[in-house]
Amino acid sequence: MSLERRTHDGERKDPSSSSSSSYEFTHAAAKAAVAQICESVGYNHFKDPPLESLTGFAIQYILQLGKSAASFANLNGRSQCNVFDIVLALEDLSSGEEEERVSLESCSALRSVKLREVIDFVKISDGEEESPFLQTLPRFPVSYDERRKRMMMVPSFVEVGETPPGKHIPLWLPAFPDPHTYKETPMWIERGLDPRGDKIEQARQRRKAERALLSLQRKLVCRISSGGGGDRVWGDMDGGTVKEEIREEAESEEEKVDGVSVVEAFAPALEAARDEDQMAWKQQKKKKKPVGLSKLRGEKKFLGEPLDLTLQMKGEDRPLSLREEDRDDKRRRAEFILRQCMENPADLNQL
Amino acid sequence: MNHGQQSGEAKHEDDAALTEFLASLMDYTPTIPDDLVEHYLAQSGFQCPDVRLIRLGAVATQKFVADVASDALQHCKARPAPVVKDKKQQKDKRLILTMEDLSKALREYCVNVKHPEYFADSPSTGIDPATREE
Repeated sequence: MSLERRTHDGERKDPSSSSSSSYEFTHAAAKAAVAQICESVGYNHFKDPPLESLTGFAIQYILQLGKSAASFANLNGRSQCNVFDIVLALEDLSSGEEEERVSLESCSALRSVKLREVIDFVKISDGEEESPFLQTLPRFPVSYDERRKRMMMVPSFVEVGETPPGKHIPLWLPAFPDPHTYKETPMWIERGLDPRGDKIEQARQRRKAERALLSLQRKLVCRISSGGGGDRVWGDMDGGTVKEEIREEAESEEEKVDGVSVVEAFAPALEAARDEDQMAWKQQKKKKKPVGLSKLRGEKKFLGEPLDLTLQMKGEDRPLSLREEDRDDKRRRAEFILRQCMENPADLNQL
Repeated sequence: MNHGQQSGEAKHEDDAALTEFLASLMDYTPTIPDDLVEHYLAQSGFQCPDVRLIRLGAVATQKFVADVASDALQHCKARPAPVVKDKKQQKDKRLILTMEDLSKALREYCVNVKHPEYFADSPSTGIDPATREE
């Protein structure tokens, strides 16, 4: 009979046809189910070889049932099977005699002997206590293969909820990747363009920074002048005219609102300061440079200029006591830090 | 025509009985889980979204296994009981599914299953006892 042939090949075929992992899992589950059926029949104990054989037979039975039913459906021009296909397949698998076989052309499916046997079986079993499969099985095929994992992670069109572009693409295929993964798409948050408003805002921020800068400058200048030797400080610059210019500019600055005028006002002062700085630099090169001034010499900002000179002057008075020098160092460092903070808005202004 | 009408009526009855049976299938949970049966049926090309047909397949398989197992049980019970050493021990032997019983049961289904001997110590090992005597 057909089953005889299959018992030799079936178990050898199974591991090679499907992946070994799913085969083992399903085989173990089938074994448990078959053992449960045998237990309901009356057995208490099992030996492993007969249980394995019986499991193999059960699996082959299901496979053959499905195969016959599918072929019957295909013969009738259908791809999906219905109940009559299964009944015919049952008849096909039965090992009964030829006389018992019934063709279903004239009669209905219930005339089939096998089906009646199955119905009786269900009725009898329903009368006894039901014994459903005890363990819960996960929904499979569950694959832990790495390559398959990557494939399984991609959801299908149905799962994502997208309609595939083009009617020729079925819904169960994995969805296309998002366009931003392969194309350059704009990523900015679009807001209304307001160039005038932006300019006004920019100017306002500049003014704010300059006001702070000026107030700090005034404080420093006051401190320097009150600290003694104010005339001497300014006197080293060209005729003190620069100083006066600065004072005037500083006062007039309060009244001016537009940020651009600050740069204009300080431009001549800046140039003068730069020239002065270069000369001071050359002078200092000849002398021995005190340590604290090395950082300050790079300064070309206007704010740094009067301070530079004072510190240079102080640097020249070397025979002062060490404590004074320490104090000066600390003050220099503090002022340097302040200057660094003010430099950033000052940079903006000069640009 | 009469015969046709009668057969038509019979058909309706049969159809009704069939649908009733299929409905009753949903109440009865077969021992073999639906997922497992669906997996094997899909492996062989059987495609059907209806759960009742899958249950029908599961029930048919369950019936097949139950038949084989009950036949083997009959063979097991028919075998003479082992020698009772203890007088108090009852004649209650343990029902174990062995390869011998299974092979005898499966022979009725035209399946030849023979468990090989552990080792062969004579050329006549493994031959059918009937022919061995000859």
